[in-house]
Order: sequence, then C-alpha cells, then structure tokens
Amino acid sequence: MLAGLGSALPDRVVTNEELTALTDSSDEWIRTRTGIRQRHFAVEGTATSDLAVAAGQCALKSSGQGGADAVLVATTTPDRPCPATAPLVASRLGLSGAAAFDVGAVCTGFIYALAVAAGLIAARSADRVLVIGADTFSSILNPRDRTTFAVFGDGAGAALLRAGEPDEPGALNTFDLGSDGEGRDLITVRAGGSQQRLAATVSDPDDQYFTMAGREVFRHAVQRMERSVRAALETAGWQHTDVDRLVCHQANQRILDRLADLLGIDPRRVVSNIALVGNTAAASIPLALHQAHGDGSLRAGHRVLLTAFGGGLTWGSVTLTWPRLAALDGSTSGPSPEN
Amino acid sequence: MTNSYDALVDLLVHRFDVDPAKITPEATFEDLDIDSLFMVELLLVVQAELGVEIPDEAATPRDTIAKAAELIGAQLAASAS
Repeated sequence: MLAGLGSALPDRVVTNEELTALTDSSDEWIRTRTGIRQRHFAVEGTATSDLAVAAGQCALKSSGQGGADAVLVATTTPDRPCPATAPLVASRLGLSGAAAFDVGAVCTGFIYALAVAAGLIAARSADRVLVIGADTFSSILNPRDRTTFAVFGDGAGAALLRAGEPDEPGALNTFDLGSDGEGRDLITVRAGGSQQRLAATVSDPDDQYFTMAGREVFRHAVQRMERSVRAALETAGWQHTDVDRLVCHQANQRILDRLADLLGIDPRRVVSNIALVGNTAAASIPLALHQAHGDGSLRAGHRVLLTAFGGGLTWGSVTLTWPRLAALDGSTSGPSPEN
Repeated sequence: MTNSYDALVDLLVHRFDVDPAKITPEATFEDLDIDSLFMVELLLVVQAELGVEIPDEAATPRDTIAKAAELIGAQLAASAS
C-alpha cells in the first residue's frame, strides 16, 4: 500500500516563449494544442538518476521510516543503455544490497512499476518497495520537431509501497495492464538499439531522436485509457461517479479533457499539472500525485483512479483509496537534484 | 436535414462548444476555427456516442459538415444492415 510520495524537478524552467525562439511555434500554438505553459529541462550534466535520487529521498522521508528492500526505476531515458539506472539510485539512497532494476513501458512505466512492486510485496520478496518514475526527455528530443520539443519536460516522482492489508486505505486494487506492439512506430526512437545499431554514420540523423505520431497517438491514448479505466472500475466494483480524483498520465490537456468527457467524469475531479511541467513521461503520475497531495486537492478517503498510456503501445490503470500520508512539504522540489 | 446531420450538430454544439450560428451544411470544419486535433476528437466522440468508427483519413477539416454527416449516415446504415 502507498506509504510515501516524493518528486523532483530540475531548476531550469523553460517557458513557451523561450521555446518559440528555437522552433517555429508560438505560445498560443503550444497552449491551445497541449495546455502547456512551461516545462523544466535538466542542464547538461544532470542525469535521470540525479532526479530519481532526489524524488526517492523525498518519498522515503515522507514514509516516516526510511529504507526499502527493492528499488524500481521506470524510465525511457536511463543514465546509460547499460547497466540499469536503479542500482545506482539505490546505492545513492543508502539502499545498497536492495533489489534494483528498471522498468521500460515509456509513459505507462510508473503504473507498470507499481504493479511489479505490488507483486513483489504479495510474493513476500519485499516488504517495502521504492517505485520511481524518472525521465530526462530533453536528452532525446529533436529541437527541430515542435510536436515533441514543445510537449515534453524532465522530472521524477516516487512512491513508497509497503506491505499492508487489502482493505486498508492506500492498498492498490487489481491492475488493468495491456500492450499492442503493432503500434511501436507511433512512439519511438528508431536508432541505437539492436535493430538499427549505432554507427559512425546513421542513415538518417533524426532516427536518433524521439518521435511521436501526434494525431494517431492522441486517438489511441484516449481510446486505450478509456477502455482501461472502465476495466479497472469494473474490477474495483466502482461506478464512474465514484471516482473522486482521476489522475491520468499528463500527456496533453486535451487528452485529459476528452477522456474525462467520454468517461462522464466531472472535469473538476481531474488532476492536472501539465501547464507547469509538460509531459514528463514516466514521472508524470507521481509528480501530479505529489503536487495534488501537497496542495490539498487529493485528500485521505478520496477514491483515486490512476491511468496511463505510452509507447509500446502500453497502457494501464489502477484504483486506490487515498491514505492518510505524513504531511509533505507541498513543494514538488526535493533536495536540489543539480547539486 | 437527416438524422445524422442533426446528431452531428448536437455533438458540435454540446460537446465542442461550437457556436450554433456558425453551423450550416455548407460550412467546413475549418470555418469553425478548429485545429488539426479537432477532427481526431470529433471522430472519438462520434464513435462513442453514435457507435460508428470512421478512420482518421476519411474526414478532413476541409470537409463540409453535410459531407461528414453523410459519412456518418452511410456508416450507420452499413452497421444496421
């Protein structure tokens, strides 16, 4: 069950106006299509692990009693292709010896990692698991592609799960998880893996960058999350009107709005922080949760539905009743990740 | 006008806050101050509310509302037969 939360954002804020100087877009173009006003970009030298450590520290502290037997990092932008980022994060958090590995499900990564963590706890392989979603998408974005460069931001969010009883507040209900590999080209980095190996000359330099087929992704995101939410509601025995807070992957404000519309969920119950942080990939759900908990919009007893969609294609949803968590500092910044 | 035209107008007005005064059969979606994501959203809502799936490439912002209604009507007739 959920026992701690944390998040971290790099210090550098990049406004739409600043981006406009780099791409052929405008503040209005970005705001009307995405709802984003600004995002944070890590400066060169700041790695995903730096953000993950700061968010992880914050979550461990908020759980009241330090320590975790396992550390999972959901990321698409690991520090290096090999090894995984999680072992370094565990060591830097003073958790040397803990099981540590990365989870790759792009923007659904945090939901998948939560499911894996719940499984580790259910199998009694761990009592306490630190789940971190951390991404530094600025490291893989093409500055000439406004459809991605204007959308993504960097950040990390973390949750501490501990063993508990299924009927306790904070217990995660049955997950709905799914994938469709036929859609792999819709959200991808083509080069650098075993299929298109890194070479001195890449056939198309843009293949090294992240790409996304905007409109198709929009349609899939809404449809897949809608179906996944309905499945998670059914297994939880909830009606859509029971949902006090819908926390979606912060992909695009219009995706959040349309999803709430199709589900019949009051838009005032939809948690959104995309205007200030952009799409932070695997970090987006824990970042949104930490902020909503900090500002009081997410309170103990709320019935909360988490849902995400990402590259793969992948999607997943889970429900929980929000637990009483230790008072958090409210800020989404942990210890400065750039030190 | 046909049922599918009325249904489409209803969705445009109530789900997308389009000004009813701007809607005529001959108006194109572009005339309604929409952007490239709008058609995707519209087809999602059409599918959810009217139960017809229309591929993204079948409708463009340059189409008239009457033409889109015709497309919806044809799909509805096909699924009913």
